Amino acid sequence: MDNQEAKFILKAYRPGGADAGLAVFGGALAQAARDPALHDWFEREQARDRAVAAKLKSVPIPAGLRASILAGGKMSAAHRSWWQQPTWLALAASIAILLSTAVAWQLRGPRADLNQLTAQILDDAAHEERHGSHGRAASQLVALVSQSTTKMSAPLPIDLSRLKTDGCRVLNIGGHEVMEVCFERNGGVFHLYVMTRPSRDVPSSPRFAAQNGVHSVMWTDAQHLYVMASDKGDDALKALL
Amino acid sequence: MSDDTFSQLVDLYYPSLYRFALSLARSEADACDLAQQTFYVWAKKGHALRETAKAKSWLFTTLYREFLRGRRRGDRMTALDTVPEKELEDVTLAPETVASMDGGVVMAALQEVDEIFRAPLSLFYLEDLSYQEIAEALDVPAGTVMSRLSRGKAQLRARLASRSAASPSNVVSFQNSKTKASHG
Repeated sequence: MDNQEAKFILKAYRPGGADAGLAVFGGALAQAARDPALHDWFEREQARDRAVAAKLKSVPIPAGLRASILAGGKMSAAHRSWWQQPTWLALAASIAILLSTAVAWQLRGPRADLNQLTAQILDDAAHEERHGSHGRAASQLVALVSQSTTKMSAPLPIDLSRLKTDGCRVLNIGGHEVMEVCFERNGGVFHLYVMTRPSRDVPSSPRFAAQNGVHSVMWTDAQHLYVMASDKGDDALKALL
Repeated sequence: MSDDTFSQLVDLYYPSLYRFALSLARSEADACDLAQQTFYVWAKKGHALRETAKAKSWLFTTLYREFLRGRRRGDRMTALDTVPEKELEDVTLAPETVASMDGGVVMAALQEVDEIFRAPLSLFYLEDLSYQEIAEALDVPAGTVMSRLSRGKAQLRARLASRSAASPSNVVSFQNSKTKASHG
């Protein structure tokens, strides 16, 4: 790197030192430390930049601007349409993802199905900390899996059709109905997703995955396929199996 | 988004956003309008932004887009386009000279810089964004930001020198007489 190139780079170095950690400036800064002429130029450039920055930041802000912004912001938020509310936007996004997954499910094999299932479940778990669970059957299931003595990998007394008719949350992923309940255990929130066990290519041992900070484990018993998700990590999931 | 979060966001960024807007719009009323409009857009759409940490870049990006959307086509400052770049590079200006100027004078000089250089230059001096974040906000490559900062600084230096020369107490040196004549 010659001095001309170093100058070109150093002109983008903010005078307050906020860029000290950026690797792109490392070579040019090192060169300025070695070369006295470049060092003098850089010191002068930074001094002038500091002076300009200080002057621009001294330009007064019109009185009342802050109050106007705050008042306007409240008005804008109050007039937001129902479909612009976060819940509805999240729901719309989830529906779009589920629809696209459904199409993909039809085009890919069973192993890809399970990968897609895991990905969609991780996405679902990441979007909502707690999903609502309704109905007696869902409440009984939540009560069971919340008990510290319940081993999740042991066969669970689950009747999918009863859960569905009783108001349990149902997701349709790739044409498969997946029931979901949330529960708390060991100080963390967990999501349990259950569906009918597929006929082939199911994992023979618990399979862990992670996506955007949410971890999951998939396992099966004779009748069902389960996916449990949480942001507490693999160890927290293993402790419940 | 809660009122508290919105207030915090306003307090953190409205001064820089206003000054950025003032450098672009060159009118206090337009700058206020741009700053307000930016936060209105945030209040309506900002909730869709998952990471609050990205709010800063989002606000500057939105303000710039609102400015581009609102300004008249062809309304572009070209006063310095006719001055050869080499001559701009030769203009020297002591940091002490800048320090002795009024903030409004420095802002006025910045407002005369060609618009294509003015936006990255303002963001650079307000120091809220790195050159990479400026590139994202203005939707140009990072190398282009560096190039525009270099040329924008040269234009600003020439404008400040020109204003300083009008005041007999300030010393502005030029490295050749031809350049001096150009900026007399």
